Amino acid sequence: MILELAGVAAGYGAKTVISEVSLALAPGQILALLGHNGAGKTTTLKTAMGLIPARAGEVRFDGTAITRLPVAERVARGLRLLPEGRGIFPDLSVAENIDVVAASLTGKGAMFDPASVYRLLPVLAERRATRAGSMSGGQQQMLAFALAILGTPRCLMLDEPSIGLAPNLVERLFAQVRDVCRAHGVAAVLVEQNVAAAMALADQVVIMNNGKVVFDGTPEAARAANVWHFF
Amino acid sequence: MLLLQLLANGIVTGSALGIVAVSFALIYSTTRVFHVAHAGVFTLGGYLAWSLVRAGVPDLLALAGAMAGCVVLGAAIQRFLYAPLERRGAAQLVVLIASLGTLAVIQNLLAAVYSPDILQFPSAWAGHVFGLGGLRLTGAQLATVGVDFAAFGWVMWFAHGTLLGKRIRAVAANPFLAEITRLEPRRVHVLVMAIASALVCLPGVLGPLDYGLQPYGGVTPLLTATIAMIAGGIGSLAGAFFLAIAIVVLQNLSLLVMPGEWSIGVTFAIFIVFMLFRPRGLFASG
Repeated sequence: MILELAGVAAGYGAKTVISEVSLALAPGQILALLGHNGAGKTTTLKTAMGLIPARAGEVRFDGTAITRLPVAERVARGLRLLPEGRGIFPDLSVAENIDVVAASLTGKGAMFDPASVYRLLPVLAERRATRAGSMSGGQQQMLAFALAILGTPRCLMLDEPSIGLAPNLVERLFAQVRDVCRAHGVAAVLVEQNVAAAMALADQVVIMNNGKVVFDGTPEAARAANVWHFF
Repeated sequence: MLLLQLLANGIVTGSALGIVAVSFALIYSTTRVFHVAHAGVFTLGGYLAWSLVRAGVPDLLALAGAMAGCVVLGAAIQRFLYAPLERRGAAQLVVLIASLGTLAVIQNLLAAVYSPDILQFPSAWAGHVFGLGGLRLTGAQLATVGVDFAAFGWVMWFAHGTLLGKRIRAVAANPFLAEITRLEPRRVHVLVMAIASALVCLPGVLGPLDYGLQPYGGVTPLLTATIAMIAGGIGSLAGAFFLAIAIVVLQNLSLLVMPGEWSIGVTFAIFIVFMLFRPRGLFASG
C-alpha cells in the first residue's frame, strides 16, 4: 500500500472532526473519497498531509509510519495535495509558478519536470508569460494540477478539483488524472462533490459521514448499495 | 529656483524613504507582520556605521559592516520573536505589540550606549556641497539618491529575475501552497527579514551622514514609508517606492505655501485621500 490511514482521529481546537478513519490505497489506484459538506473529507486529507496533527491512529506511506513527519518531508517522499480553490500562486506568471515549484521538487530523474508538464498540458505552454491569477478557472486548475505533479509524485490528494469548472473541463481534468495514475503508477485520493464523475474514475470508493468512514468498497458495490443511502 | 531645489531635496529624501517603504513592504507582504521594529533596525544601522567610522574603518566598509549587523538583527527578530509567536498562533495585535516593544528596547539601548543627543558623522565628503546648475546638493545627498535608486533597481531585478526572488513572491502570494510545495515559508521569512534589514540600513546610514543620528529618529521615516506602502498598493514594491518619493516631494513643495511644521499633515492628508478614494492603493495586485 502506498498510503494507509489506520484509525486516525483529528480536529481543530477542542473539536474532534474525524475519528477512527481507516483507508488504504495501492500504487496506481484511484480512491474516491465522498461525503456531504462537513463530513471530514478535507480534514482527512490535511491530516494525511501533516497540516493538522493526528490525535490518534497512524498514517503510513509506502509501509513506513509518517504520522509525526513534517509536511515538507511527506512532500519529499511523494505525497502531494492539490488544495481546494487555492492551488496556484496568482501573482506569478505560469512559467514562474512552474519554475519555483520545480526548483523545490524536481531532482534528477524526476517523473515530471517542467518540459514534461508543458507537453502534458500544452495550454500552460501557450500561457507561460500570463499572470496565473488572470487565467480562466479551468486554466488555473490545470496549472494547480501541474504544480501538484511536478517532481516524482507517488500519491496525489485532490481536494474538489472540479469545483467551479464547466463539465467538459472536468472531463478533461479527470482524464489527465487517470492518465497520470495509469501510466506512472501514481495513486490518487479524489475528494469530490461530483459523485457520478468521481465514481466513474475510481477503483475504490470511501464514503464519510460525520467524521467516520461509513462505506469502503468498489464503485460497483457502492452503486449496488445505493450510494446516496450513506450521505 | 527655490521650487527646483525643493523638488531635488524631495527626490533625495523620497528615495531614502522609498527604500524604507520597499523593505517594509517586502516584509509585510511576505510575513504579514507589521514590523514596526524596522524603524529600530534603520536607526541601528546608522549607529553601527558611526561607530565603525569613528574606529577608523573606511566609510564604504563601515556601511558594509552596518548592513551585516542589521542583517543579523533582522533575521534574529524573525527567528526568535515573530516565528515562535506565529507557531503559538499569536494574533496580529500581539505580534505588533511585540514589535513595538522591540523598537522601544533598541531605541533606549542606543540612547543609553551612545547618547540621546544628535551625533554627527565625521565624514568630510558628506558635507561637501556640489553645485549642479543652480541646485546645491551635498555629497551625502548625491550618495543617497544614487545608492537608493540603485538599491531599488536591484530589488526589482532580484524579485522578478532570480529564482529566490520568485520564491519569496510565491510565499507572499500563497503561503499555504508554499508550505505543501516545500518552498519552506518559515526559512523564506527569515531570509526576507535579513534582506529587508540590509536594505533599510542604506538610508539608515546615508541619511544621517547629512543630518546626524538620533536614537528616536526612525519612527517618522517609517510612518511615511508605511503610508507610501498602503497608498502604493500592498504587494507592489514599485508602488511603495514611487509613492514615498511623491509624498516627500509634495511635503517639500508644501513649504512654498505653508509652514514646515505642517508637512507631516500633508502626509496624512494624502493618506486620507487614498483611504477615501482608492483604499487598495495605486498599484495593488490581484
